[in-house]
Amino acid sequence: MSAMPPSTPPPEDSGIKIREHVYDGIQEYDQRLPNWWLFTLYGAIVFWLVYWFAQMLSGLATADGPAVDAAMGRIAAAKMASSIDVTNDAKFWEMAAAPAFTDAGKQTYTSLCAACHLASLRGKSENPAAVGPDLTDTAWIHGGTPKEVFATVAKGVVAKGMPAWEPMLGQKKTAEVVAYLLSHHKPGDPITVEVSK
Amino acid sequence: MTQGQKVTIEFNDKIVRQFLLATLIWGVVGMLVGVLIATQLNFWQANFGQAWLSFGRLRPLHTNAVIFAFVGNMMFAGIYYSTQRLVKARLASDFLSALHFWGWQLIIVAAAITLPLGLTRGKEYAELIWPLNIAVAVIWVVFAANFFWTLARRHEKSLYVAIWFYIGTIITVAMLYIVNHLSIPTSLLHSYPIFGGVQDGLVQWWYGHNAVAFFLTTPILGIMYYFLPKAAERPVYSYRLSVIHFWSLVFLYIWAGPHHLLNTSLPNWLQMLGMTFSLMLWAPSWGGMLNGLLTLRGAWGKLRTDPVIKFFAAGVTFYGMATFEGPLLSIKSVNALGHYTDWIIGHVHAGALGWNGFMAAGMIYWLVPRLWNKPLHSQSLANLHFWLGMFGILLYVAAMWASGISQGLMLNATAEGGTILKYPNFIETLNAIRPLMLLRVVGGGLYVTGFLIMGWNVWQSIRGARAVNGSMEVFVEAPAPGESLGVRGTFLNAPVVYTTLIFVGSCVWMFTSGWLNLLGLLATMFCVLLAIGHFESRGKAWADWYDRLLVNALPFSVLTFLAVAVGGLIQIIPMMSIDRRLQTEDRVARVYTPLELAGRDLYVREGCYNCHSQMIRTLVPDVMRYGDYSRLGESIWDHPYQWGSKRTGPDLARIGGKYNHAWQYDHLENPRNISTGSNMPSYTWLMQQPTDYAALPAKIRVQRLLGVPFPSWSPAMIDTLAKTQAKEIAQELRAQGRYVDPDREVVALIAYLQSLGQTSQAPAAGGQ
Repeated sequence: MSAMPPSTPPPEDSGIKIREHVYDGIQEYDQRLPNWWLFTLYGAIVFWLVYWFAQMLSGLATADGPAVDAAMGRIAAAKMASSIDVTNDAKFWEMAAAPAFTDAGKQTYTSLCAACHLASLRGKSENPAAVGPDLTDTAWIHGGTPKEVFATVAKGVVAKGMPAWEPMLGQKKTAEVVAYLLSHHKPGDPITVEVSK
Repeated sequence: MTQGQKVTIEFNDKIVRQFLLATLIWGVVGMLVGVLIATQLNFWQANFGQAWLSFGRLRPLHTNAVIFAFVGNMMFAGIYYSTQRLVKARLASDFLSALHFWGWQLIIVAAAITLPLGLTRGKEYAELIWPLNIAVAVIWVVFAANFFWTLARRHEKSLYVAIWFYIGTIITVAMLYIVNHLSIPTSLLHSYPIFGGVQDGLVQWWYGHNAVAFFLTTPILGIMYYFLPKAAERPVYSYRLSVIHFWSLVFLYIWAGPHHLLNTSLPNWLQMLGMTFSLMLWAPSWGGMLNGLLTLRGAWGKLRTDPVIKFFAAGVTFYGMATFEGPLLSIKSVNALGHYTDWIIGHVHAGALGWNGFMAAGMIYWLVPRLWNKPLHSQSLANLHFWLGMFGILLYVAAMWASGISQGLMLNATAEGGTILKYPNFIETLNAIRPLMLLRVVGGGLYVTGFLIMGWNVWQSIRGARAVNGSMEVFVEAPAPGESLGVRGTFLNAPVVYTTLIFVGSCVWMFTSGWLNLLGLLATMFCVLLAIGHFESRGKAWADWYDRLLVNALPFSVLTFLAVAVGGLIQIIPMMSIDRRLQTEDRVARVYTPLELAGRDLYVREGCYNCHSQMIRTLVPDVMRYGDYSRLGESIWDHPYQWGSKRTGPDLARIGGKYNHAWQYDHLENPRNISTGSNMPSYTWLMQQPTDYAALPAKIRVQRLLGVPFPSWSPAMIDTLAKTQAKEIAQELRAQGRYVDPDREVVALIAYLQSLGQTSQAPAAGGQ
């Protein structure tokens, strides 16, 4: 394009009307509007007509809110269909002995739980300024059986700052974390009730 | 036409020189602040622990400086230079010109002081406090008076296309600015906007989007129409394209604001208008680009030698790119991915750096030799500036595209058959884009380096040079009889009548149902056919009328005002006239306690909305991550609304009650206590500064005036309520091992954060 000498006007300019009026030396051609440009404009206008009709007038479109509610309902059903029995203590102890579960659980624990309960799981026992309590001792605030631990992690203890993790992680990852915690304990360990500080 | 008496006029070019130098100075300041805050996103320590250097306070300074100080001064320089020549008249008043210049600079200085101090209204690009709002409005009126007075004294009767864009700018910015800044003061430095919740959001983006349209686009298009053909020494490509794209642009732009609120709880009809009108805006915007680029036909040879043409060609190309990207992002499904991410940041910088910055550079390089009558110090430095800037923008924009799309995809990704989020921890998505955020710093740094080189080049050019004022010989002509349009001539003519009929018809079609709806559609189609038929047979009459309109500045301005006002009226009036209690979707937020309100004002002061939204969209990934989607009633009492427009951190709409006070305390003290890798500032000053209880009675009085149902507490009662709640929170914190004086700001902010998402169900219909 730069091959063209600057002084010669492009050949297609010939025959194009130039407006009489000159503003401070600026002249104006009055060229036809490019067809592709007009089609872009008309196309967008047609799109507006069709889209407005489909979304607002036809009565066929689902409103955003109910559509999301329906999708969330389907997700809840899918979760339920693939859920395990989280009240089965024996199942959790089996998982706690299987590295496939505890390794995955450790990964989740490190990225999310360690901030409060520390990487050692020892929480306040290691550092009194930590937010979360010790998870390796036998004293439990909200119950120490596997199903109780799962319930605490899954539903959280909002007043104490423990978020509900199951909605965020899903049941599988939550169960893996519980398996990782339980891998620091043994079935039949004493369970004492701890009063929260 | 009879030739009148010949007179020589000397232009007021001093004002142009002043604005031009101010452009350079504020441009550097605004961009340097941008580079600093971009650095803070990677290295949170870059605020040096200073409240006034923190991201939430400096980001408004960056945006305001670039928009109002950099582009504002550039626009005034360009408008004043070109208008005087295009209308063949010296600026009407030297006093008004000087008042305009010094008033504007004073406002900028005041903004640069108040924003870092945390004095803000909490609305994007409308952060300045109310006394400054009044000052801006007054100075804008001074500008308008000076401009229109100059038009009244013009010797060139016919208005050139650049002047159309200037008229559109002046009228529309005044309208937008005034409406979006309506507020009621609670003190000398603080006020609440009169709109709340969704109404505030709608007005905000009607303003915010059209600040882009009428502050960053239309005046620069006008400047393009003057300086580009001047520099290229070529005729403008097409006059009729100018006509079509001017009117369609100013009419359509105003409607597009709601595309900033897609997939939110904004009523669907407004979202639909925002999306479809943004798509229709694509062609009118490209009309401007075409008229710029095709004017360069025959002058492409200059691209190799003349830096001015280089900057203009690239600037107009970036305009075309940004105005293609805008409609694309306005498509609801694309917006679901791009909104709240860096993609939007990339989009605005393609506009601000590519279009505004390069057009400014081209204009400055063209003006300096003419205003100081001395050739530019160095052409090669100007070329260096161009390539540094070009490389900087490309790096910046590409990094932001990659960053925005990556983070958007990560945030929306699900696992296990779509039942859970793949990346439930927000920080993972932030860490993934950190290298890209660093590239942005590099790109921005290169750009500002180029700009500094221009500053030095200009300084070397004008040092010791003598300023010269342009002059022109004009013939004073007696007004030709029959030129005036009058009221009838303005409104009763084919173009205006047909446009009005088609518009009314399509509104009937859009907003009614049943047989009326069909009637609207048929009437619209009938009028369109009629208009085409009339134009085909009597096209000359249309053209003649327009030629006559061009010599009638007042009718032209009135029609422009109507074209820009109508979109806003149709979108905003229905939302204002409905009782807001009916726009709640069955949920109404409970009214804040006094302490929560104090905390909310701290949230606004620290600019939390710059990085956190309070709007869970009607999208599955949003609901999975943050909880049930937001309802209108949940922000109904929020003056200003805080839906936000960017998620550098997660949404906070339902953060209340999710964590305990100690978590919030630790997180505010140093976010990395909780989230490893967080880039949020440490808000240590909140632990030291006392809460301003004394301001609360005045604040609650104003809130009541605005219709927020606070009980009629006495000032003493407000004080007691606030202090009691603060004590309770401090006691809980103590129980959790955090020792803090109840009167510290952090306690109020925690009270506010814990209140978010705490709604009370709406009473049965007809209640309240």
